[in-house]
Amino acid sequence: MVLPWRYLAKRVLFLAVTLVVATYLTILIANAGGLIDEILRAQIKYDITTNLARDPGWGQLPEADKTRIIAERLQSALAAKGLDTPFFQRTLIYLQDALTLQLGRALFISSAAGSKNIADIILERLPQTVLLFTTGTLLYSIIGLVVGLRMARRPGGIFDRTLSFIAVVTQTIPPWFFGLFFLLAFAYHMKLFPFGGMVSIPPPTEPIAYLLDVLYHMFLPLMAWLASFFGGWAYVTRNLTMQISEEDFVVAARAKGLPDGLITRRYILRPALPPIITTVALALIGSWTGAIITETVFNWPGLGQLFYNAITVLDAPVIIGLTVVYAYLLVATVFILDLTYGLMDPRIRTSGG
Amino acid sequence: MSAPVGLKYTLKTIFFSKSGLLGTAILIGMLLLSAAAITSVPYDVVKTWNNPEAWQDNPRHAAPEWVTLFTGGNPPRTMVIGPRDFFKVSFFVELASLKFIRLEGNFNYQYDDFPSEWAIILDTVFHDSRPLATIHLVRPDGERVLIFRSVLESNRTRLDVTNRAVRSNVLEWLRGLGVEEPKFVLPEVALFAARSPAMWDPRRATPLQGKYGIEVELVSTGRDDDANASAILFGKVHGLAGTDANRRDLFVGLVWGAPIALAFGLSAAVLISFIQAILGSLSAWYGGKVDEVVQRATDIYLILPFLPILITISIVYRIDIWTLIFVVVALSLLGGITKASRSITLQVMQEQYIEAAISYGASRLRILFLYILPRLLPYIVANIVLAVPSFIFLEAALSILGLGDPIVPTWGKIISDAQEGGAALHGYWWWVLLPSTLILLTASSFAFIGYALDRVVNPRLRER
Repeated sequence: MVLPWRYLAKRVLFLAVTLVVATYLTILIANAGGLIDEILRAQIKYDITTNLARDPGWGQLPEADKTRIIAERLQSALAAKGLDTPFFQRTLIYLQDALTLQLGRALFISSAAGSKNIADIILERLPQTVLLFTTGTLLYSIIGLVVGLRMARRPGGIFDRTLSFIAVVTQTIPPWFFGLFFLLAFAYHMKLFPFGGMVSIPPPTEPIAYLLDVLYHMFLPLMAWLASFFGGWAYVTRNLTMQISEEDFVVAARAKGLPDGLITRRYILRPALPPIITTVALALIGSWTGAIITETVFNWPGLGQLFYNAITVLDAPVIIGLTVVYAYLLVATVFILDLTYGLMDPRIRTSGG
Repeated sequence: MSAPVGLKYTLKTIFFSKSGLLGTAILIGMLLLSAAAITSVPYDVVKTWNNPEAWQDNPRHAAPEWVTLFTGGNPPRTMVIGPRDFFKVSFFVELASLKFIRLEGNFNYQYDDFPSEWAIILDTVFHDSRPLATIHLVRPDGERVLIFRSVLESNRTRLDVTNRAVRSNVLEWLRGLGVEEPKFVLPEVALFAARSPAMWDPRRATPLQGKYGIEVELVSTGRDDDANASAILFGKVHGLAGTDANRRDLFVGLVWGAPIALAFGLSAAVLISFIQAILGSLSAWYGGKVDEVVQRATDIYLILPFLPILITISIVYRIDIWTLIFVVVALSLLGGITKASRSITLQVMQEQYIEAAISYGASRLRILFLYILPRLLPYIVANIVLAVPSFIFLEAALSILGLGDPIVPTWGKIISDAQEGGAALHGYWWWVLLPSTLILLTASSFAFIGYALDRVVNPRLRER
């Protein structure tokens, strides 16, 4: 198979530009156009003056010396934090660092192991997010697929109508909202499940007990994730399957008197599979970014919660670092999508762009 | 994308399906609620939402009054014994130059639970020296309990159940009665409990019903000294929606939440859908460089991490809800609708009436706005309906993260207050369930209509 090189080159160029624009916008916004620098600078100056004022000898110094010492210390502290260059110039340095994934050091947040390195912090949180949301996405994809196929078997029947209705309503409700209800009902009222977190405190020492404990904590967020997404996905599958089942080759297969199960497997699922797999793959990669609000509601120690914490303490480098990782993931996903389309769609393959 | 359908067809789809009708009915209900809020509850009340003094006379954490329909019983409502309900006798003794003021207020307590709190407020006018105040509570069983005896510090004295002197007086009284040694003193329970060894314990005591009296005696030295008293017995139920930890009447917040949620959701959805559709249409109609620029910009917009940027903006600038709309719109100028309306326009452009319009010399803009965009209208309307719930939930989500509007009460903000106030932990269910039910109702009304409109947005379904 010949790859559509011109097309791919064009897409890579475009995606690179997109990445740069998205990252630079994030840098500008995360620094609030220099506002955060002002806050940090004022804070550093305040810290220096209060520290010096605590020194018993400080009161005896002449006024000129005081100003000079404050200015000196401020200068070195600003240089240490990298705040001494002009804002615009610094955004370009940030941009270069971000794009080369040199995420730098956090201002306030540190990893559980005590590291201030943003890459360490993110890598520490990533497994938790993947554990919860990738599992959830995989589960809802499978359930949605099965339910959707079942719905398409008898369109307009009771099962189809009920589930279509459920699907349309549940897909407007975000997972965190289900989460609130589930917490209220199953955690607070019935006391069946924990209020949040990933493990009990203190965590069990036995590996099997630990695993069970994590599963126990995962249950409610997982259910919230499923409740919000399985319906929409089932509906999409149903519509896709129904479109294909009206194609001539399916009608012909029916006319031949082939059994229903065989028609579904060989004649409907096979052409429906590529778009389904693409969508699932996209959702799986998307699930790595976690969910800011769902993680906050369930107190799940993943990337989403890290993002929220970073915003509340205005830790700009962490915000930028996470957004860059998000943007990279998205761009990579879009590129993979382009690649598969380029391979699959003969129009793109031959036109060369 | 097959040929677009007319607006009339769209409306017909809504009104001739069960879900469309149900959705419309709920939506009309919400609109009526909003109209009622705007006309009957003055906006001034909303402005005082964050002012604790405005809500002083309400009980804390009170359930809605209609819970009695399910639980039965007669839980206490808030009773106010105002200054006029107190019978006043005052005289001045020349010889000793002492002024005696005696205030007596009676009330009939018929509820089968204890008040959640009470407060006695003394307003005094004195000239030379500060008056000595003595307050007794006379119970239906004839007990006369000393609640307070002290020189008043200021012109306005508010005694409540947390007052240390009140607590120690009540403890002394309980000890004098010879009941069990109390583990803690709750003046709102003990004073209203039928006499029993366990009358200090809210779980074992039973309330004593009947006529109570509050007797206030003041002694001061000025001939013109005066005093007035009032008392509040805070109930355990309040209004239609109960109250929160700050004694706010949740009904006000919930009712005002409706127009705010609808205004926010609708204006964001309408603005975004129209802007995206117009830009998409423009892109197809003018083609060439315009098309290229709009399409590439759309691709960038589709990749921008929307929620992270939005959260960052709202935390850094502490924006209010109306600014939030503009930020949301600015972050969604281009998107999925741009792409879809571009492809619909490409189709419409092939039709003969457009060709006719070009041939008789209609201007390009005229054709775009008068001949092409109306054909997109059903699609835009369907998208608006489908998008409104997500914006209502977006506002609620930001509120739950603590980034909502700092002044205006919204449903999301009430839920977020409830989360912070530990509503779930303490079982204040109304505080969480009422606002979330309203959000759910509003969102699902749009979802129901959207379900009916699905055939407009997914034309493939229509063909069957």
